[in-house]
Amino acid sequence: MNGIKTRLKALPPVSWMLVLIIVIFSLASPNYFSLSNFRNILIQATPLMIVAFAQTCIILTQGTDLSLGAQVSFVTVMIVYLAKKGVPLFASMIIAVLLTVLIGTVNGTIVAKGNILPFIATFGMQNIVNSISLLLTSGSSIYYPSYTYRFVAESTFLFVPMMVWICALMFILVWIVLRKTKFGTNIRGLGGNREALALAGISPVKNLIKTYAFAGFIAGIAGIITLCRVESGQPTVASGWEFQAVAATLLGGTSLREGKGGVTGTIFGVLLITIVKNGLNIIGIRSIYQNAIIGSIVLTAIIVDAIIRIRSKE
Amino acid sequence: MGKTILTAVGITKVFPGMKALDKVDFDLRAGEVHILVGENGAGKSTLAKVILGVYKQDEGEVFFEGEKMEVSGTKDAIAKGIVAVYQEFTLIPYLSVAQNIFLNREFRTKLGFIDHKKMESEAEALLKSLNCEYINIKAPVKQLSVAEQQMVEIAKALSYKPRVIIFDEPTSALSDREAESLFAQIHNLKKKGIGIVYVSHRMEEFPKIGDRITVLRDGKKIATIGINDCTDHELITMMVGRDVSQVYVRTQNEHKGEALRTEDLSDYSGKVKGVSIVLNRGEIVGIAGLVGSGRTELAQLIYGINPIKTGKVYVNGREMMPKSPVNAVKHGIGLVSEDRKKYGLALGEAIAFNAISVSLKKIFPKFFMNKRKIYDIAKQNVDQLRIVTTSVHKQCKFLSGGNQQKVVLAKWLNFNPQIIIFDEPTRGIDVGAKMEIYKLMDRLAAEGKAILMISSELPEVIGMSDRIYVMHEGRMVDECKRGEFTAEQIGSRMLGLGVGGR
Repeated sequence: MNGIKTRLKALPPVSWMLVLIIVIFSLASPNYFSLSNFRNILIQATPLMIVAFAQTCIILTQGTDLSLGAQVSFVTVMIVYLAKKGVPLFASMIIAVLLTVLIGTVNGTIVAKGNILPFIATFGMQNIVNSISLLLTSGSSIYYPSYTYRFVAESTFLFVPMMVWICALMFILVWIVLRKTKFGTNIRGLGGNREALALAGISPVKNLIKTYAFAGFIAGIAGIITLCRVESGQPTVASGWEFQAVAATLLGGTSLREGKGGVTGTIFGVLLITIVKNGLNIIGIRSIYQNAIIGSIVLTAIIVDAIIRIRSKE
Repeated sequence: MGKTILTAVGITKVFPGMKALDKVDFDLRAGEVHILVGENGAGKSTLAKVILGVYKQDEGEVFFEGEKMEVSGTKDAIAKGIVAVYQEFTLIPYLSVAQNIFLNREFRTKLGFIDHKKMESEAEALLKSLNCEYINIKAPVKQLSVAEQQMVEIAKALSYKPRVIIFDEPTSALSDREAESLFAQIHNLKKKGIGIVYVSHRMEEFPKIGDRITVLRDGKKIATIGINDCTDHELITMMVGRDVSQVYVRTQNEHKGEALRTEDLSDYSGKVKGVSIVLNRGEIVGIAGLVGSGRTELAQLIYGINPIKTGKVYVNGREMMPKSPVNAVKHGIGLVSEDRKKYGLALGEAIAFNAISVSLKKIFPKFFMNKRKIYDIAKQNVDQLRIVTTSVHKQCKFLSGGNQQKVVLAKWLNFNPQIIIFDEPTRGIDVGAKMEIYKLMDRLAAEGKAILMISSELPEVIGMSDRIYVMHEGRMVDECKRGEFTAEQIGSRMLGLGVGGR
């Protein structure tokens, strides 16, 4: 009994909100509580989920990467651009992901070597990457159909959509990195106590660069999945995702201080945001109100979390 | 005593604007504890860091087992078996105890992943050898107490199987009992032939563990002597460079009426349970108690840092609800916090900034500030408190601990509060600075200020206080006047033991 109780308490507050919100939507709309809708939610959540995994790694180092959304859009554009030039689709994908790894490396180098606030450095990068995407497409989206997309976007394996499988794989990857590798230990150390790392003979600079490059890689994968869903290179498809990913990560209990948290909580954070969006659509709330509602939920969750933290201190 | 394992010859290290070490010689034998003492800024830490390879010396050489050491960075020093237990913790808050101990030397499975099981069993064995099996090795170190973290820090050092360990003020975070068990560990390490460099201010510890003492002053080596070859008095004189006949200065003053009173004060955490105290003007009142007895929490309640559950606080006879430090300051209460780096100073800001930070409104009642005036006030503080610095524009993080504490004091002196709470006012600072702080406290009391002093150093409480309250597990268990108490009495009351008939 006690074990269950402590385990329930260990869940981030966002998981309770999740249950509450599902109940509210189910009561508000008879169409809401259905298997097909939940399947929809999962599929909708996937690209943001993967971006949020990347953002979680960055936030654990006490940073934020505001270029992640731009990187996702860039990947869709780059793949289509290369494919139209005759590069095989698969090769284009690999090149695009390598480029996001490069973008991440540059981000990390600026942040670590220049000792520049991460949000400033990555904000600059966001603008640069966005501009490149717009240049390559002359500002509009470029349609590029392929059967390969269907395998990712529409096929299922064991009744579960392939996209969800890919997302699960990415989760396992990031979870293992954080929990089972030296690199992951160092990521936590970067956020927790950089001097301790240096004194143990670990280079904070190298590891910070690696973390941003790793985030770039994950964003690249998110970009491929996004392309498979939208079947075109869209220079603004993922704009704002970096902030939603920050919100989801914070909702999931990862702290901007001290390297606290992890990627498991982030799942709940992303699900919450996606479920709210999906529910608001189903009950017919106009999209101009949706951002305000999501913003309020993010603030509420963070305030609740803060109150719990203050209470536990008293 | 074993043979010499480490020798430093003619070490000189120059920092911009100061010579931190000036041709210092030092040697360490296997199986000895070599204590390094000196005032803050005397060069103890710099010497330790040269040995550890954190700093590169400008002149001189270090030999390890007869061979010249060419180290750059702690990694090389660690590889040779020279490790340190730092005063500032070098733990990562949300990694487990085991992960922290084996940071950068993680055990791996065949697949190359971290082997948590093996790491945890090794960590468990290490902590057991330190008699600390109660520490949960799976818990993030953030959840441990300061003392437990210190033990983890020591376990980490031991896990390198070192030949030389440098302890930098290891007991500053420990209670007396924990310190005793640390000393027992140090004795075990000695028996194993490990050479130990022990940096400390606490003179009462020296005879318990030390073999030889090296005194540094202003970057120069003053002497290296056997532990039994000098008296405390001689040692202090060597450190400070002048004769100091008495450490504690307390001129009796008349008490001029009540300044602060609490009635049945309790907090939400249960660390303070129904505490009533009275503090008069012109009086220094000490609060004695073990670490965790609720001393600091009491101060935080009065100062409005933590909310009050029940009870009342009166300032000058009028009830005051301590809602926040802002409110406390308005009522003329100042707090010299036990953690000056966290609560006392803006470390990245200049001395002048910190010195006037509380009194801005007082100094500049109108809208604009005047740089010249700030400079003059700060300059006056620096001269009066003898803060060692090249300029009042120096950032506080570059000052030594004692000088930082003086800046905190300057901040309050400028504000001129009527009630001042000193929480561990001399933690981690050297004898010279300590004495100056005692003098200042005495002077403040003479000026009619009411002073509440919280300290875990019993000699300090006894030496300075007109009255002492003893706290034990959140309750006030005793109160006695100057001259009515002995150290043994108060010590036993702190442990919760009764004193004959009471």
